[in-house]
Amino acid sequence: MRREDFLYEHVNHMKLKPTMTINQLIQEFSKSGCFGAGRVATACDIFEKMVRDEQCTVFLTVAGAVVPAGLRSVIADVIRKRFVDVVVSTGANLVHDLIEAFGGHHYKGHWLVDDFLLYKYHLYRIYDLFVPEEDYVKMDEQLASIYDEIAKENKGQGIASHEFVWEIGKRIKDPQSITRAAYEANVPIFLPAIRDSEFGFVYLLHSQRAKQNELLKLNAFEEVRKLTEIMSDSDRIGMVVIGGGVPRNTVQHAAATTRKGMDYAIIITMDRPETGGLSGSTLEETVSWGKVKGSAAKVMVIADALIVFPLIVACTLERVGENFVRTHVIEKNRG
Amino acid sequence: MRKPLSLKGKYCGNCHYHNSYNYPDQIFCMYHYVRHENHIYPTLSVCEHWEPDTQECYCVEEAQKKQEAKR
Repeated sequence: MRREDFLYEHVNHMKLKPTMTINQLIQEFSKSGCFGAGRVATACDIFEKMVRDEQCTVFLTVAGAVVPAGLRSVIADVIRKRFVDVVVSTGANLVHDLIEAFGGHHYKGHWLVDDFLLYKYHLYRIYDLFVPEEDYVKMDEQLASIYDEIAKENKGQGIASHEFVWEIGKRIKDPQSITRAAYEANVPIFLPAIRDSEFGFVYLLHSQRAKQNELLKLNAFEEVRKLTEIMSDSDRIGMVVIGGGVPRNTVQHAAATTRKGMDYAIIITMDRPETGGLSGSTLEETVSWGKVKGSAAKVMVIADALIVFPLIVACTLERVGENFVRTHVIEKNRG
Repeated sequence: MRKPLSLKGKYCGNCHYHNSYNYPDQIFCMYHYVRHENHIYPTLSVCEHWEPDTQECYCVEEAQKKQEAKR
């Protein structure tokens, strides 16, 4: 490599205007091309390519408390718009979706509060937002009744987590809900760590009330078969990771199992790779496992997903235009 | 170390089985819920299954204040 190869493009400084659109701002980020701005601009380009690629199955993985903090409608909208084909989430994010679907709210708060005082008022804190205990309790109560119904209908037969989410989505009305959007759009939402959330506690309520032969049964391994089937049926695979954790690993592992390797990958995280944990592991590391192709269009954005994900979605919405319709790749392959 | 809140009476809002339902007036009783019984109780009521395992919350105190304000 020659010296001049390192100096092929100089930094163009950003110019800001009062009436700029999101896409125009991202174009200015791209002119800089450096640090977080450059990576966000690259992420927008990759997401646009993924969405426009008619042979690509797009996986969205969601971890971290982004749904209670404000991404609920954004995620519901990308599902309805078919910008994503499959969602893999922590159980907790869907729990917070259901809290609002059943009439509860999340409240703006502060991280510098007396947490023991919150405890005495039955208020829970997620960094700088608060959730009243009663909104959890009312959700638990209604969700336990839905568990009872689903269990009775399935008569002891196990169902996979995505079928379980559809069953809940069928029974709620809130059009802003992620769960409802997934049911209406026929987008599967897999919850590989469902037990590790309020869904597990609601099961406890249901199991203490229900008869032994009317217990809800979830088949945890069925989703492995379904996920790998979706990947095997896809010509290309892309993933957008919010946070990391079990949802990111679930998608990456399926990509390795099917020996497909992902063609597009965007990771938005604040985690570091040095500890060896998955959430901070670099995309280069995933290449070594065959989870992401060496030739893939990929970028890792080290930033708060609550800022970056809406930027990526808004930029892509602007680029593809209001009338853009994406055919769900799984349905298209089925004819 | 914080002092535990002193128990100021035999109320559902002080019991181990309570969660907040309509703060501070109503509580959700886990004990009755799992038995398919009425499970929404006034914070200031009490039942035969009451357990004095204080949750260090303000439910009873605030429910009493509201009750007194109404009089």
